[in-house]
Amino acid sequence: MSKAAHNHKQCLDLFARMSEYLDGELDESLCRSMEGHLSGCPACRVCLAELRRTVQLHHASGNVVAIPESMAARLKELCEQFNKQ
Amino acid sequence: MTETPNPPKIDDPDHDLIVAIQEGSPSLFTDLVQRYGKPLYNFGLKMCGKSDTAEDLVQETFLNAFRYLGSFRRETKFKNWLYRIATSVCIKNRRKSKFAPERELSLEEFLPADEAAVEREVPSWAALPIDQVLDEELKQHLQASILALPEKYRAVLLLRDIEGFSTEEAGQMLNLTPANVKVRLHRARLFLKDRLKGYFENE
Repeated sequence: MSKAAHNHKQCLDLFARMSEYLDGELDESLCRSMEGHLSGCPACRVCLAELRRTVQLHHASGNVVAIPESMAARLKELCEQFNKQ
Repeated sequence: MTETPNPPKIDDPDHDLIVAIQEGSPSLFTDLVQRYGKPLYNFGLKMCGKSDTAEDLVQETFLNAFRYLGSFRRETKFKNWLYRIATSVCIKNRRKSKFAPERELSLEEFLPADEAAVEREVPSWAALPIDQVLDEELKQHLQASILALPEKYRAVLLLRDIEGFSTEEAGQMLNLTPANVKVRLHRARLFLKDRLKGYFENE
C-alpha cells in the first residue's frame, strides 16, 4: 500500500476490507469512505483491480468436469443400494 | 424416516423430493444422487486435488446424507446441508491423515514489503478482457493455486467464489461466524492474487 502523501493507516484499513467492498458487504458510509480513499490512492486502486480480477479469473475458470467412469460406476452402485431400501 | 413437525419454509428446489423421501419413499434418494453426483465430485476434486479422494468424498457424503436425512429439518436448502456434510467429511478425513498442521495466513504477509513494490498502474492481466487473459495454462495454474491454499482457507474460497454460497451459508456449513468467513475469504483471495502476480511476472 502507498506510504506517501496520504493517510497510510487508511490504506491498511482498506486493504483489510477490500473483499467485503468487492462483495457489496460494506455499509453505505464505509463504502463512501472507501471510494473517497480510492479516488486519491493509485496503489489501492491497483490492488483492488488485481483482487477483483483474481476473483473473476477463478470464477471463470471454475469449469465443471465430467465424472470419470469409475465415479459413475460407484454412483450406480449407490443408487442400487438406495433402491433396495 | 420421520417428518419434523412445522419446519420453517424456505425456497428449496429439492423440497418436494425431500418431503417424499422423508414420508416413506427412500428409493427416491437416487434422484438426489443423479442431481448432485457431478457437482459434488467437482467440489471434491477442487478440495482434494485427487480423483480417487474426490470419489471417496462423494460416496461418503451420499451415504451420510441418506443415513441422516430423517433428521434433516429443512431449515436450510438440501444442497447446503449436503455440502456441509461434504465439507465435514473432507476435514475429518484430513485430520485422520498425516499432513503437517495447517498454516495460518496473516494479512501482513500480503502487504508489499517496500514502497518500490507498490504498483501505480493496473497490470495488463487485470485490465484486459478475461477471454484475452484466461487460457488453458492459466487455468492449470489457478487450479494448482487453490490446492496450495491451506485447507481451511480453500474450503471457504471454494464455497464462496466457486460454488457461489453466501457468506452466511458458508458460515453455517463450516461452523464459522460470518466475520470469520470474510477474514478467511479475503486472505485466501490475497494468497491467490499474489500467486497470479507471480505467474504473470515470470511469464
